[in-house]
Amino acid sequence: MCLQMIGIIPAEPRPQFKRSLMPLLAAAIFMSCLMPGRAEAAGQRVEKKFSVAGRPVVVIHNVANGRIEIKSWKNAEVDVVGTQTSNKVGFEIEQAGDRIDVTANILDAAAQPLELEANLQLTVPEETELQLKTETGLIYVEQVTGDMKLESYAGDVHLKEVSGYIIVKTTGGSLVCAQCAGKLDFSSISGNAQILQPQLNNVNLMTTTGNILFDGDFVRTGLYSMKSGRGLVEVRFSSNDSFDLKAQTSTGTVDNQAAAFLKPDTHGVKHIYSNLTHGFFGTVGKGLAKVELSSYSGTIRILRRD
Amino acid sequence: MQCKDIELVLEQEGLEPLPVEAREHLAECPECRNYVADLTSLVDVANKLPAEIAPPERVWISLRAQLEAEGIIRTPAESPVVRADSWWESMRAFFGNRVIATAMVGILIAAAAVFEIRKDGIHDSSPPLQQSARGNSPAPAAVPSSSQQLTAAPSASTAPAEFAGTAQALDDQEPVATGMILSSRSPVDASLRENLKKVDEFIAECERHLKEQPQDGLTREYLSAAYQQKAELLSAIIERGRSIN
Repeated sequence: MCLQMIGIIPAEPRPQFKRSLMPLLAAAIFMSCLMPGRAEAAGQRVEKKFSVAGRPVVVIHNVANGRIEIKSWKNAEVDVVGTQTSNKVGFEIEQAGDRIDVTANILDAAAQPLELEANLQLTVPEETELQLKTETGLIYVEQVTGDMKLESYAGDVHLKEVSGYIIVKTTGGSLVCAQCAGKLDFSSISGNAQILQPQLNNVNLMTTTGNILFDGDFVRTGLYSMKSGRGLVEVRFSSNDSFDLKAQTSTGTVDNQAAAFLKPDTHGVKHIYSNLTHGFFGTVGKGLAKVELSSYSGTIRILRRD
Repeated sequence: MQCKDIELVLEQEGLEPLPVEAREHLAECPECRNYVADLTSLVDVANKLPAEIAPPERVWISLRAQLEAEGIIRTPAESPVVRADSWWESMRAFFGNRVIATAMVGILIAAAAVFEIRKDGIHDSSPPLQQSARGNSPAPAAVPSSSQQLTAAPSASTAPAEFAGTAQALDDQEPVATGMILSSRSPVDASLRENLKKVDEFIAECERHLKEQPQDGLTREYLSAAYQQKAELLSAIIERGRSIN
């Protein structure tokens, strides 16, 4: 009958209802009544603690909606707390040596978005590697040292006092990285990137329509590349910095508010300018770091903050 | 009335009210009485189940596709289908395979990388220019403002020649990918669609600019990166679409 309701004609006549199936059907219905998925449950909380020997690797895959928060402590343990608004989301948490895998799965595909909220709160040793993947909801990481790869479609990523090789990839989510150290790669289509008070020595930021703000010091010998297709690229440097700066845009504009502090290149290199783009080269201090800013149609703004 | 007649009556007319002939047969046949008792208890338990939630449209679509694929059902005959529909289905089936979709994305990225290498070689041989010709001058009038930017998906026909293959492959893949999340009202899918639109608009703008300024290397870099982003985005959409369906 269901098939006919959706406009489907059975290719062959329906087989007769067999008596031998009766016990099976009865058992199936009985079991379905007992299944936890059928129970109406309010918010639930799961907590698990794992001892680790060395530097753990934490892998999280959250296909539900929700926040992932990771902080550190001095203990050689990983503590995982998962909370959910309904039982239409399930957590799988397991340990394999020093690897901790956490997955939040959707158990009921017909569930409404509000029922699919699953938040994860982890406390990990200070030196921990992270691989997080989520669809939406904030990723927040604080005071963790180690390589990390953080991926999100629509959720934002906030990092505070983290260090290591940090890879952040979003579709529409934005990145805020405060007091980060090490190497940072960020790529996004419409997400913004804000890098505040960093100690990063290698930075690659690329967004198609988002904005980029770099407010902080350039580490000597550091390499910095910041590109936005349509957005604003703004760099605020200090008078103590030392870097070579190359800024270029195809159809956008360069707003150089620090022209007085930028000298011509002092390294004797003859820079090649294209007549199809506009921009400039300049040096601050001894030009020890290398900074490249570019845009397609957005504005590049350079200013000194002190 | 025989036992098999009872089965037929129950299937066609349900448990109640049974015809007189059936009731007479039940009075004489303990096996059929047990059968009816089993059915009655099943119906009672089923009635106590929580109310069904109407499944989303995609579940029916997926169910129909699976049943058709297994030859269990056939769709009602319709007027002759235009050829574009069969092409669409074959493309959908082709790209529906995750392995092939991933391979396609890999090929596109590799093509973009090859282009980058070739482009660098071309730039090295260009004559050096000691000063920026335009300095901080405003953007040329030929370049449209953001309000004039295209909102439609870019077409392979507007792509620079060296990108034509990549653009065509992406154009072919785009309706397949978007079709997989077409009925979804999830905020994540809405975000993916919105970002696909943004990257399409950006690609169209870069392609248009390169048509006017074919030697603009920086725009080429942005266009190449945008193709790569689009390929990755389509791959993500397909993967999500498969998990939904």
